[in-house]
Amino acid sequence: MNGKPKIGVYVCHCGTNIAGVVNVEEVVQFASTLPDVVVARNYSYMCSDPGQALITDDIEKFGLNRVVVASCSPRMHEPTFRKTLLSGGLNPYFLEMANIREQCSWVHEDPIAATEKAKRIVEAAVVKARRLEALDVKEVDVEPACLIIGAGIAGIQAALDIADAGFKVYLVEKSPTVGGHMAQLDKTFPTLDCSACILTPKMVDVANHPNIELMTYSQVEEISGYIGNFEVKVRKKSRFVDMDKCTGCGACAEVCRMAGRIPNEFDEGIGMRGAIYLPFPQAVPAKYTIDKENCLFLSKGKCGESPKCKEACQAEAINFDLQDEIVEFKVGTIIVATGYDVFDARKKPEYAYGVYDNVLTALEFERLVNASGPTGGKIVMLERGKKKKKKEGEEVEPPKVPKSITFIQCVGSRDKSVGNEYCSRVCCMYTAKLAHLAKDKIPDCEVTIFYMDVRAFGKGFEEFYDRVRREGVRYIRGNPSEIFKRGDKLVVKAEDTLTATPLEHETDMVVLSVGLVPRSDNREIIDLLKLSQSSDLFYLEAHPKLRPVDTASDGIFLAGVCQGPKDIPDAVAQAKGAASAAMIPMASGKVKVEAQTSVVNEATCRGCGFCVAVCPYTAIELVEVNRNGWPVKVARVNEALCKGCGACAAACLSGSIQQRSFKDIQILPQIQALGVK
Amino acid sequence: MVEIEKLREIAREVISREDVRQLIGYRQGTYGFRARPAFVTTPEEVDQLIFSPACVNNLATYLTLEEKLPVPRGQEPDLRKVAVMVKGCDSRALVQQMEEKAYERDRIVVLGIPCTGVVDMDKVEERFPNVLSRGEIAMEGDKFVLSFDGKREEVPKEELLADKCRRCRYPTPLVYDQLLDEEVARFADDDYSDVLELEKRSAEEKWAYWEEKFSRCIRCYSCRNVCPMCYCEDCVLDRLNPQWMRRSVDISENTAYHIARAYHLAGRCIQCGECQRVCPVEIPLMELNRKFYKDVEELYDYEPGTDAEAPPLLATFKVDDREDFIL
Repeated sequence: MNGKPKIGVYVCHCGTNIAGVVNVEEVVQFASTLPDVVVARNYSYMCSDPGQALITDDIEKFGLNRVVVASCSPRMHEPTFRKTLLSGGLNPYFLEMANIREQCSWVHEDPIAATEKAKRIVEAAVVKARRLEALDVKEVDVEPACLIIGAGIAGIQAALDIADAGFKVYLVEKSPTVGGHMAQLDKTFPTLDCSACILTPKMVDVANHPNIELMTYSQVEEISGYIGNFEVKVRKKSRFVDMDKCTGCGACAEVCRMAGRIPNEFDEGIGMRGAIYLPFPQAVPAKYTIDKENCLFLSKGKCGESPKCKEACQAEAINFDLQDEIVEFKVGTIIVATGYDVFDARKKPEYAYGVYDNVLTALEFERLVNASGPTGGKIVMLERGKKKKKKEGEEVEPPKVPKSITFIQCVGSRDKSVGNEYCSRVCCMYTAKLAHLAKDKIPDCEVTIFYMDVRAFGKGFEEFYDRVRREGVRYIRGNPSEIFKRGDKLVVKAEDTLTATPLEHETDMVVLSVGLVPRSDNREIIDLLKLSQSSDLFYLEAHPKLRPVDTASDGIFLAGVCQGPKDIPDAVAQAKGAASAAMIPMASGKVKVEAQTSVVNEATCRGCGFCVAVCPYTAIELVEVNRNGWPVKVARVNEALCKGCGACAAACLSGSIQQRSFKDIQILPQIQALGVK
Repeated sequence: MVEIEKLREIAREVISREDVRQLIGYRQGTYGFRARPAFVTTPEEVDQLIFSPACVNNLATYLTLEEKLPVPRGQEPDLRKVAVMVKGCDSRALVQQMEEKAYERDRIVVLGIPCTGVVDMDKVEERFPNVLSRGEIAMEGDKFVLSFDGKREEVPKEELLADKCRRCRYPTPLVYDQLLDEEVARFADDDYSDVLELEKRSAEEKWAYWEEKFSRCIRCYSCRNVCPMCYCEDCVLDRLNPQWMRRSVDISENTAYHIARAYHLAGRCIQCGECQRVCPVEIPLMELNRKFYKDVEELYDYEPGTDAEAPPLLATFKVDDREDFIL
C-alpha cells in the first residue's frame, strides 16, 4: 500500500458554503493535473452518504491508496472521512483534508482569488498526501474505576450514578465533610425546596454505598498515567480523631478551650467553632476533626493541664499521634468536580464589605437565614469581631432585627473592572429567593434589590421573579456607586436608570449578591491533570457545544461549576453527563488511543529534555540507551499518553522528535506548495 | 591575574587523578599573541598551560564537540571526567549545557578562572598593525602590556578590552570545583546601548543593514561550530531530507540560516561572543543574539546560563508569562 501513490481528490460544494465563492469545477480540473492524482471529483455534500460512496467506489475502481477531501476543517469531518477510508479498505490515516471552507470560502469574497487560493490549498494537501504513512490504532484496557475530585452536589451525583452502574468510585473531598456549597444553602430557587432535605440523603448514600470509597479531608497529590490506567496518590490528612471510634457525640467540641473562638468556614465566618469540630450537624461523615493550626495542644504543645477533648471523649477516639496517610490506587477515568469560590467582595471597595458589619455577602446571608445556621435562621444585625462576654446573671441584649434589607446584584459578575466579564447565572435567582425569605421571616421588612438586568431564564424562574415582586420586593434598576454610613444607617448611593434619578437609599443591611469565581486553588488541579482554562479561568471543556463534559485529555471529565457558573439542576445534569461519559470507556473495557503520536529518532536525539518539559501530557521521559557503546540519554514517548499535539516537535532543536502525519518530511512540501512559486 | 605556576600545579594535581581523563586549558599559540586550546592527558604536558588576556576561546565548546567514537566490542567506554578551565563567561556555557542535560555535573571538573577581561585582537590589530604574530600580551593592573620587537607598549585596559568584557556581569565563574585565583568583583554591567541603537532603526533600515551583512556570509559554519550551545548530534541545518535550507550561498538562504540560528539560541545564548569573534567576514552576529538576550531578560526576567537547576526558558510555560507581543 506504500507503493506509488494513487490519489483521489474530492472537492465538496458544502451547498453554497464553498461553491458560492469558489469555482469548484475549476479546482477539480486543476487537481486532476497534479502528480499522482488519478481521479478528481466534486459533489454537493461530500460528507453525505452518496458523497462518501463516491470515495469508496473510487478506491475500488482506481485502486486509490491516498484520499484528499477538500471541504471543511478537519475538526469537523476528519473522523467522518477516516471512517469512509476504513470502510473502503484503506488505512484511515491515508486521508488528508484540505480546508477550503473556514480557510477560504468563508473568509473571502472575490471568487477568482478564492478559487486560486483553493487550488493552492488542494495542491498542498496532495503533495502531503503523497507522503502519508499508514498508522496503527492501538487499544488499551480500562480499569473499571473512577476518581471523582470534589464531593459537592456534582461530585456526589456523578459518584452515585457511576457506583449504581456497578463501577468502583473513589470520591475525594478536601474538606472534612461532603456536601459542598449546596449544604450551606437554606432553600433552593425557584421551588424553595429545602436544600438540606434534598441533599443530605445523597450525602448519606455516598458514605454508605458499597461501590464508593469516600475520602474526606483528603487531597489528590499525584496523578500519572492515561485513560484507562491512571495511577492516583491521595493524602488523607490526619484528623487526630480515630474515624472508627468516633461516635460523633460532640462531647469533645463542648469542652474545647478554643470553642466559639474560631470562625467556622461552613458558616462563612459568621458562626464560631472550636479547634475540634463538626462543620455542621448533618456533616458526612459525622466524625469530628481537629484543626491542627488552631488546636492549642498541636500548635503550642500545651492545652492547660491536659487536652480537655481527650478527657471528654468516652470512645477514646482522640489520638494526637495520628499521621497523614497516603493511599494509592488505579482508576480508568477521572471526573473533576471541584466547584467554585464566591467572589471576594473586598475587590469592590466602594461597597465597604469588611468595613461595615452589616454589609454581607449573599453566602453569609444564606447562613443567617438557614435554620441550621449560627442564629438558628433568625435574620439579625451583625456585630462582627465583638466577643460576647457573658457574666452570670447579666441580661444579654437580644440582637436587633433589620427593618430594611438591600441587595446589590452583579457584585463581581459582568464587571470588567474586576476582570470578570461573565454572568454568574445564579445571582438573579438566589437574590430573589433570599429577598423572598427575608420578607417571609420579617414581614414588615422593606426589601430592595438593585439590579442591572434580571436574567430569569430557567424553568420556573420568571414565574418566581414575578412572585417575589408581587410580594412587595422593590426592584431598582441601577448599579450602586458607593455605600457609606449615615448615623446608624447604611446609605446606598445609586441612580435609578429607568427614571434617570440619582438617589440615596437608606437601609439597615446590605447583601452583596456575589458572583461565582474559579477556586483560588484551581492551579493545584491544573498542575495535576494539565487541564486548560477558558478566558474566565474556569476549566475548559473539549468543545463548548458538542463535548461540554469532556476535557482535552481523554478519560478526564468535568462536572459542576468548576467548568463555569451554573445552578444546581444544571450542575446535576452535567454531573450525570460526566458520569455517563466516564462510564463509556469503563463499560467497553477498551479505548483506542491517538495514532498520530510523536516518534523519536534516538540516533540524533541529544537528550536535552525540552520535549519532556513542554509535553502537556507527561508522555515523554528521558531514558538511557546505548549509542555505539556509550550510555546516552534520549527521549522516549509513551504512545498511550501522547495526544499528538506536536508541542515536542516544535520545541526540538534538532528535529529529532517528529509527530506522525506531521513529520518535517510531510509538511515541508506542503509549505513549499503554499509558498511563492 | 592567575599565577601560571599555581595554575600548573593545580592542573597537575587534577590530571593525575585516576578519575580524570583529560584536561582542557590554554597554551601558547603558534604565533605571537595568540593562545589556543590545549588538551592535556598526562602530568608532563601540564607545563605548556598558560593563562593570559589572549586566552579568549570558550573551552566549554569542546566538552560537547568531542566525538564519541564507537566503543570496540568487548571494551568499556572511557567514562572518566573531563577537566576544563573556564572564565566567568565560559562558565555560563557549562551552566546552560547542564540545564539542557548535556551531561551531569559530576562528569566534569571545573577549574574556574576569575577573569579581569580578555583582549580584543581586532582592536590590537587596529592599534598596532601587523604585530599580532609576534610578541606577548599581559595585564598589569588597569593596563594591557604588549611586548613586541623589543618594545613595551602600555595601553589602558578599556581601549583593548573585548566588548563582551566591557559589559560582563559575571567575571567570576558561576560553577567551579576549584578557583585558580581570588574572586573578581563585578566591574561592568550591560546597558544594552548597542541593542537600543539597533532597535531605533526602521524595519527597512534594519533589513538593508542585515541584507548587507548576510550577503557576505560564505556559509563556513564557523559560528555554529564554535558555539558552545550548538551541539546537536545532527544539526537540522545539515539535513538533506527534508532540506529546510539549501546550501547555496545567496542572500535568501544565508538570511534563513542566520535567523534560524538566532532563534535556536533564543533563551540559550550566554553571550561568550565566540560566533562573532571567529566570523571570517565580520558579520556582527552578537547584535542578533543580544537582541534576543535583551528581550528574554525583559520579558521573562531570565538570564541563560546562570542557574543549572532552572528549567530551560523556552521549554516552559507559566500562566502569567508575558504574551502581549503576540500579534
